[in-house]
Amino acid sequence: MSADASDLSLVRRVQRGDKGAFDALVLKYQHKLVKLVMRYVRNPAEAEDIAQEAFIKAYRALPQFRGDSAFYTWLYRIAINTAKNAVVSRDRSPIEYDLDRHNSEESYEMQGRMKDAETPEGLVLTDEIRSTVNAAIDALPEDLRTAIVLRELEGLSYEEIAATMDCPVGTVRSRIFRAREAIDHRLREVFEGGLGRAEELG
Amino acid sequence: MSEELDSQLSAMFDDELLPQECELLARRLSRDGELKARWGRYAVMGAVIRAERGVRLNAPLAHRVSAVLLAEPELGAAASVRAPRAGLRWWQPLAGGAVAAGVAAASILWLRAQTPLAPATLSAAAQPPAAAHTVSVVNGNAGGAHDSYVTPRAPASRALVVPSTELANYVVAHSMFSTPVARRNLLSAFMTSEPGTAGTEDASDDAKSDAKGNAQ
Repeated sequence: MSADASDLSLVRRVQRGDKGAFDALVLKYQHKLVKLVMRYVRNPAEAEDIAQEAFIKAYRALPQFRGDSAFYTWLYRIAINTAKNAVVSRDRSPIEYDLDRHNSEESYEMQGRMKDAETPEGLVLTDEIRSTVNAAIDALPEDLRTAIVLRELEGLSYEEIAATMDCPVGTVRSRIFRAREAIDHRLREVFEGGLGRAEELG
Repeated sequence: MSEELDSQLSAMFDDELLPQECELLARRLSRDGELKARWGRYAVMGAVIRAERGVRLNAPLAHRVSAVLLAEPELGAAASVRAPRAGLRWWQPLAGGAVAAGVAAASILWLRAQTPLAPATLSAAAQPPAAAHTVSVVNGNAGGAHDSYVTPRAPASRALVVPSTELANYVVAHSMFSTPVARRNLLSAFMTSEPGTAGTEDASDDAKSDAKGNAQ
């Protein structure tokens, strides 16, 4: 199994003219990218604008992407450059973090230093999503919860999770899938109850 | 939607699906709105589990990007427009190589034109012009002789036939195959005509003694 095969298959489709495949890439990475950009700008709305610009730049530059690096690594660089340019052009001071630290977006110590400048309604909806997901995770059986947390929080591969949980890789895949299904069942109600933005992309 | 398909989607989201299966599922994902929405919710779950504070989970970012891209040309279409030009580009590396080869050839010819003598003869020819100049001055002072007596300034043709030490040694080594008279004449011609260019003085003496030895 090749790493990044999932992204690469979507990228190849976009390169052949399938814009719908790019939607999937945006949906997958939008949160990570906004979080990354928020190291440079404090306002989430502004961070989203910069992330949007980065995605569009990436789309336009995609014919030059040959897959030598992972798609997210490539996208990460575009977002960093876009954020830096935005900060310079708006003459604002970036938040001082060690920007070159590898995987520093996974660091949690910086989160306490960020201002939460969300709008009231955005905050409510985000909190609703967050509480729904957290409640669903708490309700999961132990083996499913451990599998999904090891995957999403620790970033372990299925093979590593299998070694950790002392079970076959196929079981890990099944556990993670069932955990997601259980969470999604409750999350869908929230989205269909008023948000449903993602559905509009279809 | 089948459970197997959802399971594959989950594995694809984690980059844990086989590439061939990814290809098939990516095609469906790009067209199936329901599948795409589920894919988006998987991303939301991950963001919540990672406690990505400050990120608006309900952000309409993906929708906005999609709306902007509606006005963009499809990449495949843009590529096909560029295709004819891309097709002609095959000769560009060849043309570049031809230009480089031409420049190299011109450089070699120019260098040859700037270097009339071979390196071996150049060192030997370094002496005669100074000697010629001396002769010229002596002749001029001695009797007001005509300029036509002045030794030519660049005896390049002579420089090319200057016998080397190796040639003298060769003659000595093969002296048994020549008559004594011819051998003596040849060696004396070497020694008397260009003693400075036939090698060092010691080497000339050695050659003489060798020749005498061989003659005896």
